[in-house]
Amino acid sequence: MAGDFYEVLGVSRDASPEEVQQAYRKLARTYHPDVNRDPGAEERFKEVSEAYDVLSDPATRKRYDRFGADFRQVPEDFDERVTAGQRFRSGGSRGGGGVRVDVGDDVHFGQGFGGIDIDDLLGGMFGGRSGWSGGGPIPGADQEAELELSVEEAYRGGHRKVTLAGPAGQRTYDVTIPPGVVDGQRIRLAGQGGQGSGNASSGDLYLIVRIKPDRNYRLSGRDITVDVPVTPWEAALGATVPVSTPGGEVKVKVPAGSSSGRRLRLRGQGMPNSRGTPGNLYVEVRIMVPPKPTNRERELFERLAAESTFDPRRQR
Amino acid sequence: MNAYALARPRRLSVATLARSTGLHPELIRRFVALSLLDASRDATGQLWFAATAPVTVARIQRLHAGLSLNYNAIGLVLDLLDRIETLEAELRASRARQTTGG
Repeated sequence: MAGDFYEVLGVSRDASPEEVQQAYRKLARTYHPDVNRDPGAEERFKEVSEAYDVLSDPATRKRYDRFGADFRQVPEDFDERVTAGQRFRSGGSRGGGGVRVDVGDDVHFGQGFGGIDIDDLLGGMFGGRSGWSGGGPIPGADQEAELELSVEEAYRGGHRKVTLAGPAGQRTYDVTIPPGVVDGQRIRLAGQGGQGSGNASSGDLYLIVRIKPDRNYRLSGRDITVDVPVTPWEAALGATVPVSTPGGEVKVKVPAGSSSGRRLRLRGQGMPNSRGTPGNLYVEVRIMVPPKPTNRERELFERLAAESTFDPRRQR
Repeated sequence: MNAYALARPRRLSVATLARSTGLHPELIRRFVALSLLDASRDATGQLWFAATAPVTVARIQRLHAGLSLNYNAIGLVLDLLDRIETLEAELRASRARQTTGG
């Protein structure tokens, strides 16, 4: 049980019944576990329902205002009982419909009287802590949470600690991520979703993989594209250049005469696939020129410009 | 003689579904009449449900108990939730294509 019921519903202590209902309806629609898949939503929904159960009934609300969070420990006819107790003590009897009431000199608030446990009675009446008023056992809803991974993490897989809001505070899972997960893939944690009421089964928790946009790697399914900057002469003459990939650095042979945008395919070097063929790694050539050429470099470029007849704009 | 393991039935009868969900068979039939639950009818008129029906029933119960929706309205809510789920999946997919390029 968390917090003050008025705070849970976000209303003031002198809110009218209409305001209480309005606040409850709005929150219930927002946090209903079938509408909101967030793992924290269910707990919130239960709190809101419990608060409304108490505050919607004028008599219970009065008792809550008077006795606070432990009002359920106080029997409903507290005042009557106090006077009844006094009457017992003075030898009088309670003229109530022939029911024999067993109240001694001291009033047991926790136990209730006549052998009925007040907490049990009220717990049943208010649907306990389940948040579902009435009805039998209902299985819990499935929940979803996002699992954000970098391209490298998705490529390599491995263990990852995931902390989520749960019924008893935070819960942490050690999740094994298979190598080569793709964006939108779901990892199922059976039975870790919303709690069922009664003895009904819990729902499942799904972690949805989100791959963080990366500065270097572009993903399309299991294919990875990475830019490789090369100098004009490397592009013209061909070169073997190092390229960093999610799996580590590889040497890529850039063939002679490669222009910007040329894609070199490294078959099977993309995202691994445990159930089939892995993706490809595409290396895209990007020609870079020295931003501040030295005098000598400028001189050589000028000579090349004078001698070359190549005009890329005149091709086709 | 060979021994064979019992195969789990792929479809559920009204009685089985009622037992597994703890609801009265008549309520299950009402869900079908209100088109909240998909069911097929065999030659004898007996209703049969998919193995996923208990999940839908649980959803119906939660919506009924948690938001005080009547069963008629739940049909609409189920349809809308399904549509939202489809749309969100599409949105995510197209956003993923945009941000990661391709």
